Amino acid sequence: MEAASALLWLLAFPFIAAPVVYIGGRLVVRESEKSEKPLLNPAGWLALLALLGAGAFLYIIGKDIFSVGQIIFATVGNIRLRFDGISLLMSILVLALGILVTIYSFAYMKGEEHEEKFYALLVLMIGSIIGLSCAIDLFNLWVWFEAMAITTILLVAFYRNQPGSLEAGVKYLVQSAAGSVLVVLGIVLVFFQTGSLDLESIRMAVTQPSLLLVIAGGLMVIGFGVKIALVPMHTWLPDAHSQAPSGISAMLSGVVIEAGLIALLRAFGALAVGSDRWGYILIGFAVLNMVVGNLMALRQREVKRMLAFSSLSHVGYMLLGFGVMIAFYNPYAGMGGFYHLITHGLMKGLAFLAAGALLYVLHVGKGDHHPLTVDDLNGASRKYPLTAFTLSVALLALGGLPPLAGFMSKWQIFASSVMTQNGWVIALVIFAALNSVLSLGYYAPLVNRLYRRETSPIVETGKPVSIWMSIPMVVLTLLIVVLGVAPNLIYWLTGPSAISIFMFFGN
Amino acid sequence: MNLSIPVIVMAAVIGLVGIGFYCLLVTRNMIRVVVALQIIVKGAMLALLLAGRMRGQLALGQSMALTVIVADTIVAVLGLALAVQVKRRLGSLDLNDLSSLKR
Repeated sequence: MEAASALLWLLAFPFIAAPVVYIGGRLVVRESEKSEKPLLNPAGWLALLALLGAGAFLYIIGKDIFSVGQIIFATVGNIRLRFDGISLLMSILVLALGILVTIYSFAYMKGEEHEEKFYALLVLMIGSIIGLSCAIDLFNLWVWFEAMAITTILLVAFYRNQPGSLEAGVKYLVQSAAGSVLVVLGIVLVFFQTGSLDLESIRMAVTQPSLLLVIAGGLMVIGFGVKIALVPMHTWLPDAHSQAPSGISAMLSGVVIEAGLIALLRAFGALAVGSDRWGYILIGFAVLNMVVGNLMALRQREVKRMLAFSSLSHVGYMLLGFGVMIAFYNPYAGMGGFYHLITHGLMKGLAFLAAGALLYVLHVGKGDHHPLTVDDLNGASRKYPLTAFTLSVALLALGGLPPLAGFMSKWQIFASSVMTQNGWVIALVIFAALNSVLSLGYYAPLVNRLYRRETSPIVETGKPVSIWMSIPMVVLTLLIVVLGVAPNLIYWLTGPSAISIFMFFGN
Repeated sequence: MNLSIPVIVMAAVIGLVGIGFYCLLVTRNMIRVVVALQIIVKGAMLALLLAGRMRGQLALGQSMALTVIVADTIVAVLGLALAVQVKRRLGSLDLNDLSSLKR
């Protein structure tokens, strides 16, 4: 199969498969209501097959990208799609994490009402994120962005009988709808100024900075910033991440906020005249995100809420890398940013999956929807050694302890930022490193609780962790350790990504 | 100033977006929040049509506006569906009552 048609199949396949997943699951549910013994709901397995199918198309494209050239184009009607380094990185990350989350949810969502809806929406969400990473038309970018927002709203409010989950859903819906309208207004201004929506022709058409384009860029920072959780627009994030089913929390934190970041970087690329200023804006938000994320995480008592706030600070590190890339024309900082994007997806994914496994065996599996507090973790390592170990690896990696992946990616961002030899940036890097130390102030006590405290009564009465939950956690733990020890293994992915953003900037 | 059609439409766009955001800020009723979002989106749609007309690409502007209508209707339906569930669980549509997670 040719790469261009494989690209179309990669984009279309999740959207064809999602209804099949839903209808297949629904039919079996209806049958098992009639019959005496309950049948196995096949929706999860169908979703896994759909994602593996998409993975096969991705393999065909990836093979071509490395044998022929860097970029593959495809057209549907008037819409052009481009598969470049960023698309490859996002597709691999989202499919890998999606497959692991699907396997994890076999146990986590088992017997849940409307299980088939969950899997169908998960497949749709993964499909729209892959589409977002391939869009090079400003409006097309918005359409994929909106599709991603709609599916994630439905998934956040999945436990529709829980007031907390409804509240998170309402907040998320209102904020993301307001944000996406601002993006449309930004698109209108760009369209009005340049008469074009294709990112490359906008870049060609713009020869000097103009007020309209600056306003358009500002609107897009706010609009996409809602999804990235830039600091004044972050208030939906802790609620949504803590109330969603744990697999979805992993996806939200691991890829959805990063997808917003990719959308913003693509849009910035088109408005790149006077581009160093956009870089300074990103650096400014990086500082805010690191400070607010870390300080808020320090005072949280609920594990998933704490992890959600720590996502804010990790977005801050990524923004530092991308900001330095744009402001100082330094592609290595961008590579560091993309490296951290991957490792954050893996680390935060693992942290949410492991915390979710404990939440499931201690609370959700027994039918109560209380949040997992830090006190519940006391002494959990004696009863759940594997889960406690994987959670500790994830937390220490997030805190940036040396042999693990989180250290390597932060190191690359910091080292390449120092290379700019700018006093302010070096001060910022020291500030970010101190923030990273500060973040250990909330990660380390959790590890301490897991291993050194007396076992709490709630852990004594917990259910066993299913094998379906353990497999994804073990895979992610291995990946985190391997990427930390051998960072060169990932340069083939981060290098082309940084180049495909970087070529838009500079003069 | 000469009141040509583009000027009137532009004033309508600014008015709709402004009114919508004002409503979003002051209202606490969920249904009204959805209505406010709808008003802002209508303003954005009108802006798309205007930009298409001014650049001589009205067809492109119209097709984009149609896409926005579809996406925006889905969001409105979702918002109202959530409102139904909130009313059922909490017996109220006031957003101030939806604050169990705030701390």
